[in-house]
Amino acid sequence: MTTVPNTATVATAEAAGLSGGPPDHRGSPIPTFGMIRSRVKELRKRRGLMIAMALVTIGIPTVFLVVRLLLHAFAPRTYGPAGGYDIYTSLVSGVLYVFGFIVAATLGATAGSADLGDGMFRHLVVTGRSRLALYLTRIPSGLAIIVPLVAVGFTIVCAVCVFAAPSQLSYSGVNVPGNLSRAGLESWATGHADEVVCNFGLRIGPSTSQSASTILSVVNNVPCGNGPGGGPVFSKGPPGSSTQPPPSQAQITEAARQIAGMDYSDYARLFLYPSNSLMIKSGLWLELEAVIGFMVGLGLGSLIGQRTVAVVLMIVLEVVLTPIFSRARIPHLLNLQRAVVGLATAHLAPGGLPVLGGGGGGPFGGGGGNPGLLPESTTVAVCVIVAWLVGWSVLGAWRMMTRDA
Amino acid sequence: MTITMAKPDEEVAGTSQWAVETHGLTKRFGDNVAVNAVDLRVPRGCAFGYLGPNGAGKTTLIRVLLGLTHADAGTMSLLGYRVPKHRDKALARVGAIVDEPRFHAHLTGRENLELLANNREHAARGRVGPSLERVGLSHRADDRVAKYSMGMRQRLGVAACLIGDPQLLILDEPMNGLDPAGMQDMREMILTLVAEGRTVVLSSHLLDEVQRTCDAVAIVDRGSVIRQGPIAELLSGASLVVQVECSDPDRARTLLENTSLGAQTNLQPNGLAITLPAGTSRDVIAEIARLLVEGGISLYRLQEAQTSLESWFLEVTSRLEDAG
Repeated sequence: MTTVPNTATVATAEAAGLSGGPPDHRGSPIPTFGMIRSRVKELRKRRGLMIAMALVTIGIPTVFLVVRLLLHAFAPRTYGPAGGYDIYTSLVSGVLYVFGFIVAATLGATAGSADLGDGMFRHLVVTGRSRLALYLTRIPSGLAIIVPLVAVGFTIVCAVCVFAAPSQLSYSGVNVPGNLSRAGLESWATGHADEVVCNFGLRIGPSTSQSASTILSVVNNVPCGNGPGGGPVFSKGPPGSSTQPPPSQAQITEAARQIAGMDYSDYARLFLYPSNSLMIKSGLWLELEAVIGFMVGLGLGSLIGQRTVAVVLMIVLEVVLTPIFSRARIPHLLNLQRAVVGLATAHLAPGGLPVLGGGGGGPFGGGGGNPGLLPESTTVAVCVIVAWLVGWSVLGAWRMMTRDA
Repeated sequence: MTITMAKPDEEVAGTSQWAVETHGLTKRFGDNVAVNAVDLRVPRGCAFGYLGPNGAGKTTLIRVLLGLTHADAGTMSLLGYRVPKHRDKALARVGAIVDEPRFHAHLTGRENLELLANNREHAARGRVGPSLERVGLSHRADDRVAKYSMGMRQRLGVAACLIGDPQLLILDEPMNGLDPAGMQDMREMILTLVAEGRTVVLSSHLLDEVQRTCDAVAIVDRGSVIRQGPIAELLSGASLVVQVECSDPDRARTLLENTSLGAQTNLQPNGLAITLPAGTSRDVIAEIARLLVEGGISLYRLQEAQTSLESWFLEVTSRLEDAG
């Protein structure tokens, strides 16, 4: 041990920590930037945890997409494109949603219990820093890690699903260009009148308007199938209905245009790749889920002081309890079920994402609700989420402030 | 030792003569009273030993002082600040090691100190390097703490204390895990810190180390402080022990026990140990020599044994056990 001259001056006035340098708000509950920065470093240097989190959040979707890209590249007739709307919804709602929550909860539980487990908590308390500030430091620090991590995984999924999307949709057995507007679909239908008339579904209501009867007349009398030189000629109408002369090409084209217009709402639900709007909403929704996972994990980890138990409880909540409470309707406990945060989050899912059986109708979407989920209004869902965030934060902070170090 | 009451407001901060002052401090764990109405006064600018056997409540008292756990009764102040009311101001100039020093094992020693420095005042960050150098860890500062030995972690704990430029250091068993050279270094560092005007409170059961290092001590047993004061003052009240080598120890023992000297004798392999009551004049030593010679016993050696803190401690605690 080398004894070196002490450069620090021990002065009585300085003992109060009030003289010289920036003011020292040690008793303040507001964490300083330096505290947050060093906490980020402490978490980031947990290599095992970081690698595991990256593998789950980024690695799993990346490997899945890379395999699909390779398969499609080597055998395009056997394996479809790697991306596309369906792959996007599967990865977002099936992988990133669940694993993002678990990873965030793991990070939160680690942040909440690591100082205790490592014996650093008492060192931190002895600095005189407010215990509340010590707790609050963990929030921005953890979010600074988990939010970008989820964002990276999500960006990879978006990029592949958009840039490696299929070039055409299969609608009623007909290959149709994707993402067309109503006018675009009608225009395309005029060029493929026979296919549209013979294959597209008819969305004619009970009213017998002039145009509807004209379309029916055309559909019932247009020859479908291979026609001359091919297979037997048949009409789409019921047997015995083709007593009128075949319609002209102009009539068929007009009928096709109108049928395409009527089918547009169905067609519009199919996408080659996710829209920008859906991707933005999905991204925000995934981040919300990650923030919830982190905050609840942090509070729980701090409350019980153990990472492993906290993580196991969070996994049970997400993988076991949430699906059960979201679907089952337990008499007399419906309101309790509605208090499950996973159900509330599912209700805020963007329309078009099959979360827990289908998209929600919340602020991220407007998909019209999901009949599989226990009904819950958006307001209630938001209140449940806020209550979970605040409740677990208060519990965690209270335990940190009262715990023996 | 003069007893004065600390003023209850923070105006006395920095001017109080006591670095640590407690009144009736009590901490219970269920039925077990770990700290029992402790009145402790640690003067500023000295090395103060807090001695006691294992389980006596030394660490618990330190934890209460530092706000790591709450007190059930009593008042306390650090550097003149009442705690826990002015805990933040008091701890701003306190450094402490409690129990075995543990750190984030995945971080380096330097990173651990930087993390702690970021929780202190801005200037603390500039003290990380000098603190590591001071405890002799510069060359291993960038190794992960997982690779540190117990002694190195102990040094890192001291470095963690120093980054706050403390006026008061509270070190709980700082010699634990140190090899003899490390203990020597630690001893020298403590003396240097005291020479700089800092106060060092040393909790230990290594009495010899405390005697070599500290100016004053408090003896704690079963949660209560049973003696406190400067070491020299305390030892002056200890019994006088005289070692005797002679031709017939058994007869010498009989001879001395039949006198009015009040001597307690104890046969030892190399002679006889004679314990005389505290406050006995040194002239009695000459009287013992005269008695033995007149009794026809050949006297080879007669020596007053230096009273050690250890013997005094054992004497005090054995009296308590006898009383119990």
